[in-house]
Amino acid sequence: MHSELNSQWRGVVAMVVLGLGLAACVHAADVEIVKAGSIKTALSLKGLRADAQAPSKTFMQVLTSDLERSGWFEITDGGASVDVSGFCQASGDRLTGQCRVVNTITGKTLLSGPLRGTVAEPRQLAHRTADAIVKAVKGVPGIASTQIVMVGARVGRQDLYLCDADGARLRRATRDGAVCLSPSWGKGVSEILYTSFHNGYPDAYRIDLAGGRRTRLAAYPGLNSGAVLSPDGRRIAVTLSKDGNPDLYVKDLRSGVVSRVTRTPYAAEASPSWSPDGRQLVFVSDRSGRPQLYVQALHGKTAKRLTYEGNENAAPDWGADGRIVYSSRRGGVYEICMYDPVARRHSQLTDGGADWEDPSWAPDSRHIACTRTAGYRSHLYILDVMGDPPLRLSSSEGDWYSPDWSSQ
Amino acid sequence: MKSSLWYVGTLLFCVAILASGCRTGGDEMGESLIIEELDGDHALMERFEDGVRVTDVSFDPVGFRYDSYQIDGAEVGKLNRVADYLRGEGGVNLVVEGHCDERGSREYNMSLGEHRALAVRAYLIGLGVDSARIQTRSYGEEKPIDMGHNDAAWTRNRRGEFALYR
Repeated sequence: MHSELNSQWRGVVAMVVLGLGLAACVHAADVEIVKAGSIKTALSLKGLRADAQAPSKTFMQVLTSDLERSGWFEITDGGASVDVSGFCQASGDRLTGQCRVVNTITGKTLLSGPLRGTVAEPRQLAHRTADAIVKAVKGVPGIASTQIVMVGARVGRQDLYLCDADGARLRRATRDGAVCLSPSWGKGVSEILYTSFHNGYPDAYRIDLAGGRRTRLAAYPGLNSGAVLSPDGRRIAVTLSKDGNPDLYVKDLRSGVVSRVTRTPYAAEASPSWSPDGRQLVFVSDRSGRPQLYVQALHGKTAKRLTYEGNENAAPDWGADGRIVYSSRRGGVYEICMYDPVARRHSQLTDGGADWEDPSWAPDSRHIACTRTAGYRSHLYILDVMGDPPLRLSSSEGDWYSPDWSSQ
Repeated sequence: MKSSLWYVGTLLFCVAILASGCRTGGDEMGESLIIEELDGDHALMERFEDGVRVTDVSFDPVGFRYDSYQIDGAEVGKLNRVADYLRGEGGVNLVVEGHCDERGSREYNMSLGEHRALAVRAYLIGLGVDSARIQTRSYGEEKPIDMGHNDAAWTRNRRGEFALYR
């Protein structure tokens, strides 16, 4: 499966090389370098000068790393098709400068503007700058300013943790002193939904990161697990067992009205994820005897089975571009797989060697955060569906799992 | 009415299993006995206050096969003892705690653990215990009793526990 993906990209490379001869000056993206799997645009940062102060140096290091991590660029000194120029300087508590991005083939300026940040937060200025460059050159959202929420298990206790998309600024978000599970982002980057045993039972909560306030979203008798916010921010999909069996429900957060989505007296459902239009859910059900993925419209009566390969399929995440990633048990280990609803094709993104689970899309619809477990230790990894090798994100002691990538 | 018929059916089934000399042990347990429709009659009541944990009596956990919530024939004796106790101790409430082994998705295991706890609850209701006295709580794979990573540990960890409160 992995080699299928590679050969698909080899086809694209051949087309690009051909395109060079015929229409070399159409677009900056036509001059590309293939390295480590995916096609890259050669970009030079030589014209971007920083003063000798520490915040400016951090800005340059983080910007370089962000542009590389975006997957779209190869940083080079010469022969670049995109030149980034300008300067960055620290004065007082301000970190300021100028940034200009030029397509060297057409001579067109793609981006030009001031840099405005603080010496206290050079990383954030670098992240914003990297995302602006990705957007200007490639026309897609960048991920450098995004965050990841996950569960961290350290010295016998579990808590939710946050980190930046590059793994930096790891910080603890909860101190419940109880089992916590299944974090997912609520509105923007200010809220997190999760399951906590804070009150003795598995209940669904929302925490407001700025105010540090915790609100209970569902605490019915039995199970209240895996709550996820709808794209319009008005409803949650959640697994409840209040009617005597684990089924999926949707709760309207304003009215409090709960409606049942599945009704499977002999089976358990779990792990709902919303379609981008908020009209369907993809989820896990063991109605066939083993956990498999199904898709059902909120008001539909029947669910369509999505997975047949692999004796267990779980943890789906429906991406903004319609593709669904999930973990699939194949040949004794879990692999990350992807379903493309347009091509109606499943592909495998990882290649064994460990258990790969709990995938979550980045907003660029290119990268995926997931858990890699080997030797009973779990770490966070970033995958690239365009073929760059997996990248380990977590470096600290402990087990890190169930990541959810913020949508902005 | 429905539950008493079901109770008789269950007893007949138990007798049949005993008569056939059903053998159990390890990962592969005996033929499954109950596939219970966990709905309608078995809706959970409002959560009761847990009260004080009863510590002078304890019951063996019920074991489950991998990815299954069905109560195994060999485990029925444990459930009968719990039901007998609860029928004689009207002031005691029960929280059935469902657990899974470490394999598979954590979130699916939360649902599977709950399904196991609900299957135990439904069985006890079938034996005449008042449904308002039994709550469920799934811990998924979060509270293993055996920290090993082998078949024996996994078998021990797939269980329904009985937490009694007065």
